[in-house]
Formats: sequence, C-alpha cells, structure tokens
Amino acid sequence: MHLTETGESRVNGYLFVLERSLKTFLPPDVVRDAVREIESHVRERVIEADGAPNERDALERILSELGPPLRVAQAYSAERTIDEAVATGRFVSIVRAVSHLAVSTIGGFFAALGLLIGYLTAFCFIALAALKPIFPNNVGIQFAHGVPVGLGAHFPMSPDIDLRGGYWIIPIALFFGLAIFVGTQRGARRYLSWWRGRRLS
Amino acid sequence: MSHETWQEQLRRGTLDLAILLTVSTGRLYGLAIIQHLEAFTDLVITEGTIYPILGRLTREGLLEAEWVEGEAPHPRKYYRLTRTGAKRLADMKGEWRAFAEKIDRLLVASERAARASH
Repeated sequence: MHLTETGESRVNGYLFVLERSLKTFLPPDVVRDAVREIESHVRERVIEADGAPNERDALERILSELGPPLRVAQAYSAERTIDEAVATGRFVSIVRAVSHLAVSTIGGFFAALGLLIGYLTAFCFIALAALKPIFPNNVGIQFAHGVPVGLGAHFPMSPDIDLRGGYWIIPIALFFGLAIFVGTQRGARRYLSWWRGRRLS
Repeated sequence: MSHETWQEQLRRGTLDLAILLTVSTGRLYGLAIIQHLEAFTDLVITEGTIYPILGRLTREGLLEAEWVEGEAPHPRKYYRLTRTGAKRLADMKGEWRAFAEKIDRLLVASERAARASH
C-alpha cells in the first residue's frame, strides 16, 4: 500500500507524539533509535497491507495494533529508566525512574513523595553544616524559654530565640545529612528493584 | 489477585523467554519477531510494547542489534542472540521445563484427588 499525503501525515503525527513523549525520559540518541524502529514497523505493516480497499481503515488498524503512542512511550521509559536506576544506583537515574513511576502508579507517587522528603532532609542537614562556619551566630539548636524548639538557621535572629551549639554541630549535621541521603538512595533503589521484579514476575 | 492480573503476570514472565526462543531461530527484525510470536502464542497484546523489551534484552547483552538498509524500502533493525544470550536461554529453558513439570505433577495429583473424591 502506498500512503497518500493524508496517510503520511497520520503516521508522522503518531511518530511526533511518540518522540515528544520519549524525550521526557530518554536521551536523544535512544529516542531517535526508538522512533526509527517504530517507523520501520509501521512502514513494514503498510507494505503488508498492500491491496487494502481503504487506506484510512488499514492505517488505523496498524496503529491500533501498535498501541497508543503514549503507551508505547511508557513501556520504553519503564524498561529503560528503571533498569538503569537499579543497575547503576546513580542519583539522576533514580530520581528519573521514581518520577516516571510517580506519574504512572499510586505507589510510585508515594515513593516519590518519600524520596523528596528524604532528599530535602538530607539537603537541610548538609546546608546546616555548610552555613555554620559562615554564620556561626545564626546556626545551631534553637531554644525558646529554655525549651529546644528546633535545629536550623535563623535570619535574622529572633530576640525570643536562644541559640546554642558550637562548631561540633558541623560533623553531626554532616553525618546525619549523608546518612539520610544514602538511606534514601538505598530505599529508592530497593523499591525500584522490587517494582522491576514484580513487573517481570 | 484477579484472574486478569494473574494472566498478565504469567504473560510478562514468559515474554523474555519467548522472545529469546524466537531470536534463537536466526537473525530477525522487530516485526518478524512479533509475527513469529503471534503465530505460536497469544503473548503479544500491544505490538509496540515488544520493542522496549528488545531494547532491554540488547542492553543486557543477550541480543545484539544492527540496522540494515537497502533490503526493504525502509531500514530494518535486526536482532541476533549473543553468546551470553544463548547461555541465558539454555538456563531459562531448563528452568522452564523443570517448572512446567512440577506444575504438571500438581495438576495430575489434583485431578486424581478430585476423581477419587467423586
């Protein structure tokens, strides 16, 4: 079957949506290769449909058997991002994989929420350790009327707050920050590994 | 677990084995793999979702892929089994046969028990 201009635009439209969706998660060279392969599949099917009485129906059947572009893109992303995150354990790969799950599953959404809280907490502790030598009088354990109310930095210092804690806060904050970061990373990797196993099981 | 979920998990679990078995017959491009699977099984529900699996198996080193131009009006991406893939396939075949045998034994035992109770 030789595609008319309308048929070509339908195929190009499908590939355009697929490419746009894949670009969200995958590197450009992988996207190019994936779109090229899907296009090859469509062209192959179109040749097979030679002699079909109605081009529009034949093309719609081919594209419907292939699956909606968003679903195909989701399958690519799931295979690629989660495998990469589990295999490498890299921060960017893990964040990318959990973000992908967050928009496609309820469990993934809560995992992403937990991950965000974990990373933010780790970042706050590390920031405290970094800010203490620069603002020694603004960073420490905050006491209000003799009761500890928090640990952090205050700009400007409130007269009601009594700040305690010397430079020993730095190693402690660093320790907690790094421990929470590593714990969050490991937790996320374990979750992705479990999700991957469940998908393959 | 619903019956549909169980069927879906069974299908996904066996898809890697089915694809490796298909490619073990020789160098094949995506659509030829899908058609082979469709001829022998009903494992392919959405054709487009087979390609990401082929990509993963390639990244895992079980398959190797190569673009070939000039054979058809459009380029085709061919897949072939690597040595690692052939070894993994042999392991998977052995495990599958052992697994199927155990389930068969369970089925026979269950059917015998059902007959005896009637």
